[in-house]
Amino acid sequence: MKIINKILSAKSTVTAVWVLGIVVIWEICAFIVEATQRTPINVLPHLYQIVGSFFDTKPITGGGDTILTLVMSSAAETLSRALIGFIIGMVLGYVLALLMNLSHIVEKIAFPYLMIIQMIPILGMAPIVLSITGDISSARIIIAAILTFYPVSTNTLAGFKSVSRERHELMRSYGATKFQLYTKMLIPSAMSYFFTGLKISAPMAITASILVDTLQGGNGLGCMLSQSLKGSMTRFVFWDIVIFSAVIGVLSFYLMGVIERALVPSKRGKKKKAVN
Amino acid sequence: MILKKSKSLLNILSTVGLPVLFGALIYILWQTKVLHALFGTDEIILPLPDRIGSIISDNFTNMLPQIASTLIVALGGLVLGSLLGYFIGVAGAVFKKWGMGGLTIVSAFNAIPLVALAPVINNWTRDLSNQVDIRSTVAKIITVTIFCTASMSVNAYRGLTEVKPFSEDLFASYGSGKLKMFLKLRLPNSLPYVFTALRVSVPACVIGAVVSEYFAEQVVGVGRQIRENIVKGQFPTAWAYIAIACAMGILMYVILLIVESIVLKNRRAR
Repeated sequence: MKIINKILSAKSTVTAVWVLGIVVIWEICAFIVEATQRTPINVLPHLYQIVGSFFDTKPITGGGDTILTLVMSSAAETLSRALIGFIIGMVLGYVLALLMNLSHIVEKIAFPYLMIIQMIPILGMAPIVLSITGDISSARIIIAAILTFYPVSTNTLAGFKSVSRERHELMRSYGATKFQLYTKMLIPSAMSYFFTGLKISAPMAITASILVDTLQGGNGLGCMLSQSLKGSMTRFVFWDIVIFSAVIGVLSFYLMGVIERALVPSKRGKKKKAVN
Repeated sequence: MILKKSKSLLNILSTVGLPVLFGALIYILWQTKVLHALFGTDEIILPLPDRIGSIISDNFTNMLPQIASTLIVALGGLVLGSLLGYFIGVAGAVFKKWGMGGLTIVSAFNAIPLVALAPVINNWTRDLSNQVDIRSTVAKIITVTIFCTASMSVNAYRGLTEVKPFSEDLFASYGSGKLKMFLKLRLPNSLPYVFTALRVSVPACVIGAVVSEYFAEQVVGVGRQIRENIVKGQFPTAWAYIAIACAMGILMYVILLIVESIVLKNRRAR
């Protein structure tokens, strides 16, 4: 009895029940759609149909690609660019945060623009970036980098600023140099803030990359998505990509949490405590 | 005393002056085509700022319907998403155990790429109405709503539950019921958190509106005009719409900051 109670009250069980609930609601809606609509595939197919189509071995293109290989090769194309952009944005954002913390002048110049960049719809500028670069891959990288850059920068700076005055005074009383101040105190303390920024920006980088795809032909998830919507291949390609990108988006968020726990000792300790 | 005063004046001057100087520098580089050389583009793709400005001032009356369409979608989605998010936050705070799990799911929704969402919702609203403009607007508003829900629900939950220690005990010792505690303690406590959420979702609603227009049936809105004009090769007009989209985002954020400073004025003073 106790064990059952423990399982029931566990956090993962609660989440699992929610996921199950969503699946049930989806299936009920799918049955209603199936009964009332002429083309249920366009509106809401059953989940098992989507999953089934993912592992369908029938080739759907002239090249003999199945849906699985098609989605995977497009995903490799899109996600690799998203990752490159993400890493560039992360490094630039971190360096800017460092510079802003080191120099008041840099902070005063850059901070208002960091605020403004948050307010403007960068994704709306995707088409123009594409025409400036003329190359879809670099457009993907640039947009993903911009979208990663400012959450990382603002959050890391907030992390540097959050270190209390007493700790600064303690380090000074130890006679720490500026380099030591950063490596021993500021950078480790700002780590969790840095990862907060990464958690915000990882799904955004993926979204951006897919969006840029839809603007032009070629390979990539977004491109396949719009091709399938236009009807040049089976609708299941569209559904598979929707589900796939949703899963990847959520996974990228959790992946950042996993990396954080592996890298930041204080987080690791917390996790262990929670387990015990 | 005078020294201190002049020091703070210098501080204000540098806080305002340095960014303005930087902006002016960019403007000059742009206008003198140094930026073009830097990015390797020409004046057709990246028009000069005064040309963009003159296009906006010449065609502003033609642009108004597009702006109105985007504003309706952005604000409609923002209001609905915030209400829905707050409601989820309240539900999470009332049914704590199950609410937390629900919030995890909602925040996972946030990680779903918006691009994948917009076409699906377009399919759903197809049978809603015979008129393209109605069903297309509804589809866009739903997309923005989903985009704005997550941050509000998470922040509302925190605002409703993270009350000052002992204040719950105080209310209990006064013999107030759960409803009263909710209305007099939790609800006011969540107000600053609501604004924290809005700071995320106000820029997000403009982005959501712009992106959902890309996939909408009806060819209308600031975002769609950016895309259409680029396809047609009319880059200056596209840039004009980009400038308008940026201005909308900034303006809405500034309005939010003003409202926030008025609403939360009494709290800061205390």
